[in-house]
Parts: sequence; structure tokens; C-alpha cells
Amino acid sequence: MAEDLVLDTAIRDWVLIPLSVVMVLIGVLRYFVSKLMRSFQVPDPKIVKEGQVIVRARNLRAAANFIPPKSFRSRRVYFSNEENGLLFVPKGQAQNAQAQMFSDPNMAMDMMKKNLSMIIPQTLTFAWVNFFFSGFVAAKIPFPLTQRFRSMLQNGIDLSTVDVSYVSSRSWYFLNLFGLRGLFSLILGEENATDDTQRMMQMSGFGFDPSKSLSAEKDGLDIVQHEWALPKFEHRAEAVLKKLVN
Amino acid sequence: MVSKTEETQLNRLENQVDNGGGGAWEYLCLVRKLKARRSEKVLKYGLSILNDPEKRSALGPEEWTLYEQVAIAAMDCQCLDVAKDCIKALQKKFPESKRVGRLNGMLLEAKGSWGEAEKAYSSLLEDNPLDQVIHKRRVAMAKAQGNISGAIESLNKYLEIFMADHEAWRELADIYVSLQMYKQAAFCYEELILSQPTVPLYHLAYADVLYTLGGLENLHTAKKYYASTIDLTGGKNTRALFGICLCTSAIAQVSKGRNKEDKESPELHSLAATALEKDYKQRASDKLGLLTSALRSLKT
Repeated sequence: MAEDLVLDTAIRDWVLIPLSVVMVLIGVLRYFVSKLMRSFQVPDPKIVKEGQVIVRARNLRAAANFIPPKSFRSRRVYFSNEENGLLFVPKGQAQNAQAQMFSDPNMAMDMMKKNLSMIIPQTLTFAWVNFFFSGFVAAKIPFPLTQRFRSMLQNGIDLSTVDVSYVSSRSWYFLNLFGLRGLFSLILGEENATDDTQRMMQMSGFGFDPSKSLSAEKDGLDIVQHEWALPKFEHRAEAVLKKLVN
Repeated sequence: MVSKTEETQLNRLENQVDNGGGGAWEYLCLVRKLKARRSEKVLKYGLSILNDPEKRSALGPEEWTLYEQVAIAAMDCQCLDVAKDCIKALQKKFPESKRVGRLNGMLLEAKGSWGEAEKAYSSLLEDNPLDQVIHKRRVAMAKAQGNISGAIESLNKYLEIFMADHEAWRELADIYVSLQMYKQAAFCYEELILSQPTVPLYHLAYADVLYTLGGLENLHTAKKYYASTIDLTGGKNTRALFGICLCTSAIAQVSKGRNKEDKESPELHSLAATALEKDYKQRASDKLGLLTSALRSLKT
């Protein structure tokens, strides 16, 4: 039955606003705590070198037509040589990156710290919301929803006849969780540790796998056909000078 | 490298500050951003800000960056006491800082105590083996001591790790040219062209090196690169225009016996000569006679 429930304004004053305020405050607290706890990560020389190699190889690919063919060929051999080419990674090493990531104690500690700083406040806030703010209708969503969402959005409300648009405070908590990200980037500047959704996406794609990018670069380099652009430039220079002189 | 608009802006600010029009802080910020080397002015205006306690507190946390900038400028102008005071102030505020450690090393360098400076840099590098600036300072030290081969060696080692650093390649190319190791210099310039293909400076330098190396193939390549410089600068680069004329005459001399017609750009040489004459007429008409006689001797 689609009847209109009249919601007490006291709900707005005592539920919605305090919940948002509390979440903002917790976010700010987390930001400062993360700043204090941030450990200086010493960059691994091998990884730095590989990063630089990739940049150089990419430059070579991009501007290959600007250097004479002989130099290009010698550089290509230097990079993709079977024995000691920079981009050549023997198959055995390729699998190591992920295992290395787990076994490296520093990195594991860092990831754990980051995860903890994200999980603990979330869990606590969620439990707090459930404890205090459950069992009543908190808000009405302005658009209609199907019955599927009932279990997710209306968990404290045990009446099955209430329209699904009327949700409990748990859904308000989730809404805030994802929505306050924009607010945090305004208040705290670009780098804030409250980017939970980003972090969750990052966790699934595990980190920087250098060997794959190296072999990708090598393949790209092998494909490149060198077409020396310089002869064209002579014609263009002629044209420029003609215009200049006349 | 500083672009032309930025340079004009910098000069404008400098004039403004010179003539007492204020804006010293903006000038210092711009110098810092562009990494320009105007140490006397920086020293003068930086000190005037730092010695005035009101202005100094108005800067807030930027005060320390200014201390660092003035310290480096003071070392450049050999006012070592000023530098030492600045560094002391910084050290009081940031006792364990690597940046201050680096400034200390630079002070030792400026005083000329190379051994101690080397020791300071090595200890800093132990804590942080991937600090680019400290590596580069060591190269600069070797160069200043006159130990060019040592500088080349350390620079090469640096480039093995940080091979995408085009400033380092540029420095290496300069060193090689000064030692007349032109083949290696050509390699470095190729690297520079690869990383920044639209900068005419590198094309020009590469063409110069190729022309100096000599040999028919190199001369042809040099001519092409002079042409690309002309294209990239819109024909305004006098050196490239001269380069074209010289290359053409050199090629003609080397291939005197063989009848190798330059099918690619027959008019380039005469066009370059005409452009040069026009340029000289505009800017230095009294030297026009010299130019025409030189060009005539090249044509024969």
C-alpha cells in the first residue's frame, strides 16, 4: 500500500544530522591519525630503476622517428636483447612479484596498517548505528524501489507492508559513507585517507607488477617500425624559409 | 628550461623590485619555481625580508623555504657567514632533517673542504641511497675539483639507475663535448631528443656535434637536423641557418669527385643564405658586408 507516512521532524534533528556530523568528525580524526602514523617507505632501488627503464623505453618508442635508424636499432637491441637486455625478464621471475609482496614484511605491515585504519572506524560506527538507531523509519527515499531492497534498507523495521522507500538509519549510514568523500576532499585537500571506496578497489588489483609492464614495453618496442622523419624536415625547412624570405 | 614568457615575467618582476616597487616575495617565489640562478638579487631581497621581523613572521611556514633559498644564494655569492647563519636557524628548527644535512654538505663544498663534504654526502646517502639530488651534488663536486673523468664515472653510474633524468643527460653531453668525446656526446644528445623531441636546442646541438665529427654520412645527417631546427624555430635561429650553409659547402667539398646531386632540397642552401642576409640587414647591417663575402667564399 502506497500510503504516505508522516515522519517526525524530531527524527531529522536527532538522527540524520547527528549521524552525518559524527561521520565527518570520525573522517577528520582518521585523517590526522593516518598522518601521524605514516611511515616513510624507503623506495626499493630495483623498482625505481625499473620505473625509469620503462620511462626511457617509452620515450624511445614515442620519438623513434627523430633519431637516425642506426641509433634506433642499437638502442632497440640494448633494450630487448635476449641475454642482458634491460626489458628482458626470464619467465621464472615473472611470478615472483605477488609472492614478494606478501613476504616483504614492511609492505605487509603497511597494508595491514592501512586496512586497520579503515576497517576499525567503519565497524565501530556501524555497530553504534545499529545499536542506537535501529527499529524505526528514518527517512524516505524520493524514488521508488523494488522489493528486493527491503532486506538491505529496512533491516530494523519488521513490517512487511511498509513501502520500501522508507528506510532505516542503516541506509543513511551507507549513503554518508560513500557520499562524504567529496566533502572530505574539500575540507582536507586532495590527499586524505578517507578514500575508502578507492582503497577497496585498489585492494582487489594487487599492486605494481613490474615484470608485466617490462614485457609489455618490450613487445611494444619490437613492433615499432622506424621511419626516419628527418628527411621530411628538410622540405619543411625549405617551406619555412621560403615564407620567411618572401 | 625557462620558457620565454616566464623569462619576461621574471625580468619584469626583477625590474619592479629593483626600482623599489615591492613584490619581492613574488619575485623570490618565481625564481624558486623556475630554478633560475639569480643569486645576487635573491640574496639582497631575501635578506631584506628575513632581517625584518615583521615581514618574516608574515611569511608563516614559508619562512623556512626562504631560509633555504637565501642560504643557497649566499653560498653562490660566497657570503659564507650569511649562509652559515641561515643553516643554523634551519637546523634549530629541523634538527634531523636530510635537507638541512644537504645544506651543510653544500656549505662544506662552498668552503672548499672537499673531503669533509664527500664524507657528509656519503653518510646521507647511506640513509637514503636513492636521493637524486645528493648524487648530483657529488658529480658537481667532482667537476668543481677538476676531476672530470671522476665526474663522468659518477654521472654514468647515476644514469644507470635514473635513466629518465634528462638534465643529467644534458650535463653528460656538455662534459663530453668539453672533452671532445663527440661520439659519446652524440649518444647523449640522441637521448635528449628522444625524451623531448620538440626542443630545438637539442637538435641544434646534435647537428653541431655531427658536423664536428665529419664524414659524408654525418654531414648529411647534420644538415637534416639543422633543417629540423629551422623548422622548429620558424627560421629564426641564425646558427642553424649558418649550419645549413656550412654543411652544404662541406658536403660539396667531400663529394667533389662524385656527382651526387642533392635531390632532397636543392634550394635549401640558397634560401638559408638569403634568410641570413635579410636577418643581418635588419639587425646588424654594418656586418652585412662580412656576411656576404663569407657566404660567397662558402659557395665556391
